[in-house]
Amino acid sequence: MTFLARVPRRLIQLTCFVGALVLIWPVLPWAIAPRLLQQVSPFVALSSSIAARSIGVGAILALVVAVISSFKKRWFCLYLCPTGFLLENTNHVGLRKASWWSKCPPIGRYVAILTIVGSVLGYPVLLWMDPLCIFSSPFAVNKATNPFSMILVCLGLGVLVGATFVFGMLWCVRICPLSGLQDMLFAIRKALWTRMAASASAQKFSAARRVFFSGGAGAVLAFGARRLGAARYRKSDTLLRPPGAVPEDRFAGLCIRCNNCTHACPTKIIHPDTGHEAGLAGFGAPVVKFDRDYKYCLETCNACTQVCPTGALTALPLEKKNRYLIGEALVDTNVCLTALGKKECDACEQACPYDAVKIAWDEDQYNAYPVVNDKCIGCGACEVVCPTTPVRAIRVWTLKPS
Amino acid sequence: MRRSITAGGLFVAGSLMPVSPVLADQAGEKPPTPAADQGPEKLPHQTGSHVPATLVEGKVVQPRRELPVLHKTSVLVVGGGPAGTAAAFTAKRMGVDVTLVERYGYLGGLATGGLVLGIFPLYDRGNKQVIYGIGEELMKKLDVLKYGIIDRNKAPTYPTIDAEAFKYVLADMMLDSGITAYLDCWGVDAIVDAKGAVKGAVFESKSGRQAILADIVIDCSGDGDIYAAAGAAFEKVKTNIGLISRIGNLDEVDMAPGRGSEDPSKTVTGKPGEGRPSKGRVNDFGGHAGNSTPAPHMNWLNMRGPVGDALDVADLTALELKHRRGTWSNVEKLRQKQGDEQAFLAETAPQLGVRLSRLLDGVKKLTVQEIRSGAKFKDVIGYSGAYANAPEFQIPYGSLVPEKVENVLAAGRCISTDFEVGDITRLIPVCWVTGQAAGVAAALCIQDKCKPRNVNVAKLQNILHQQGAYLG
Repeated sequence: MTFLARVPRRLIQLTCFVGALVLIWPVLPWAIAPRLLQQVSPFVALSSSIAARSIGVGAILALVVAVISSFKKRWFCLYLCPTGFLLENTNHVGLRKASWWSKCPPIGRYVAILTIVGSVLGYPVLLWMDPLCIFSSPFAVNKATNPFSMILVCLGLGVLVGATFVFGMLWCVRICPLSGLQDMLFAIRKALWTRMAASASAQKFSAARRVFFSGGAGAVLAFGARRLGAARYRKSDTLLRPPGAVPEDRFAGLCIRCNNCTHACPTKIIHPDTGHEAGLAGFGAPVVKFDRDYKYCLETCNACTQVCPTGALTALPLEKKNRYLIGEALVDTNVCLTALGKKECDACEQACPYDAVKIAWDEDQYNAYPVVNDKCIGCGACEVVCPTTPVRAIRVWTLKPS
Repeated sequence: MRRSITAGGLFVAGSLMPVSPVLADQAGEKPPTPAADQGPEKLPHQTGSHVPATLVEGKVVQPRRELPVLHKTSVLVVGGGPAGTAAAFTAKRMGVDVTLVERYGYLGGLATGGLVLGIFPLYDRGNKQVIYGIGEELMKKLDVLKYGIIDRNKAPTYPTIDAEAFKYVLADMMLDSGITAYLDCWGVDAIVDAKGAVKGAVFESKSGRQAILADIVIDCSGDGDIYAAAGAAFEKVKTNIGLISRIGNLDEVDMAPGRGSEDPSKTVTGKPGEGRPSKGRVNDFGGHAGNSTPAPHMNWLNMRGPVGDALDVADLTALELKHRRGTWSNVEKLRQKQGDEQAFLAETAPQLGVRLSRLLDGVKKLTVQEIRSGAKFKDVIGYSGAYANAPEFQIPYGSLVPEKVENVLAAGRCISTDFEVGDITRLIPVCWVTGQAAGVAAALCIQDKCKPRNVNVAKLQNILHQQGAYLG
């Protein structure tokens, strides 16, 4: 520790900041690079591992950070955190007038408790407050295809920078769940240390009531959000998640809105949801939209599944991604040019990479129309080429549990 | 599927074999008298020179015989559809002697007799028209006719013509063109010389089996009947064969602006496109069926049809009958829908909607990879518009020239492409493009005394350009 203290802190911070940018921006040859940034966070690793009931190799990074942080108070914040570096510098040029918040309770640790309890119920409620997710999100702005998405991906970091400019280090000191978790780890380590030394009585846990309430709130919110998500999914006809997505009742919680997937998608079909697809529970979580000007989920790509730090999108090898059901293509024969005898059209059949759409001749109906077989994964290749306007005859719909 | 045939070689589908080179050795020479062992003796009741096919020991034998030469010409165009008429008109304009032969009693082929009234693909991805030349000229003639053509220059909506108006335009032009035309006259065989080069074609008509001798033959038969008979290699394909119909009183909402558009919201009842369609259920023409035509209250209704063999008379017969029965029952279904109670079947197309049958193995086989990647050709003779997933693309002259056989050019749907490209080059305006190029190239062969494969491509492109064709 003394070694670290001697090295100018700013230099380490700057190095880590640049390192974070390198990870996010896909300059490295490894597809999984962007997710390493969030996987460094013990908050993300702990919550998502509990929620997903599985632990990945990436958790080793977080474990190292957690161990060091439990010995050196807020070590991560002071040396590694790119958001912290950004906000610290913002604070330097900021107004630095407000100090009313110095009497605030440490909200961050209760956010962390709430989220971890939620994770036990499969829904890490406020995991999206992790500073590393907030940091990476705006980098997806070049893949946003509408102004709402652009605002949405920049919202988190924008609010933090703005608040820091006006109020000072409010976020880092009081609200950030990652620093809250570090504080708790430090306190727990210290308590264990002293107990093992048998030289001090158990530390008084003055905040027991707050812990109880935040834990309870986490449980209630997680339960409610899961029900809401599931209900929404059953009701929705157009909600599509990126390939590899865990079931909808857990997806919106496990997703930390880091927008790594939005950023990774080469065809710009993944957008943060503005709320009208999956409702409040899914606000900001990625949805798939097949805009006419953009492309479909390419059969040559599994990038989004590789960059998810929490497992909300399961990391799938390409061949498995190409079997993941995003949705199902359905044909409205009352719109289809072929079925209505309007035009020689087999655009959907030609476009399908999976041989799942066939213009079939129906001897009984004495007519032809596209028939979708069970090779369809809902990649949207047919939808984007369907020439009818304003409504496309073949569209990908939410998969209905049969 | 692919069947390669060498000149004078194998019997192929329909037992086509080139006529003996004997005939091609010019008319001045006396044809050899049939030897006694080459055919049955004439029966007592038979009169004149005709000897019918005879049943000999359970086999039907056609005796060897000399065919009367109906006509001699420089350029012979077999088929009077969009490609054939375009080829004949443009070749004639070059000042050479042109003869056209057509199987049906009218000109226009599938554009008139097949009721393929939609003129697409005309436009590139940016909705700019890329097919001009003879096709544009024909459409301009329709422009001035009442009920002749609608939706001109309204990209991406394609124009729709009236079949009768187009028959009139073609007949009018043919009568004034100076082209020798024979209708109701079915090209059945090629005439080749001793080297296998094409010297004309054989026809069946009410006047019997006759020959026309020509320096260059343009095969616009659609099925490539003549180049196949002459021994050119080709690929045989099978695809859907439909039958288009025209249905009256189906266009109540169609009088609104944008008629004939692809906008399905302009429907009679209900709101198609709203709500989740159920899996595998078909709503019978719940949307607005068919497309408007220039004739008021009249829609043309395309039919995809099942896959059939366009070179098999049994398939063709079955489809002719079943399609007419199916079309009638579909119109009855249409009448069930509110607003369409007065719909009636005006006509089914006289000709089946054969899409593809033979695809030539030419000097250049145009492939789907090339058109998707926007390949450019030095011998470009025109463009096809963008269609479905394919962008607009260049058509090379090499696609009209057989790999081996001399003196014959292909135009229309039977040119040298792969199946996917053929599915686009078979469409009406693209047939105009290949027809015009083949017509000019044939005339150049006569003028410059060269073979089709040796045509001066720069000169060809120059003339096409002068004739108003779009070459990029």
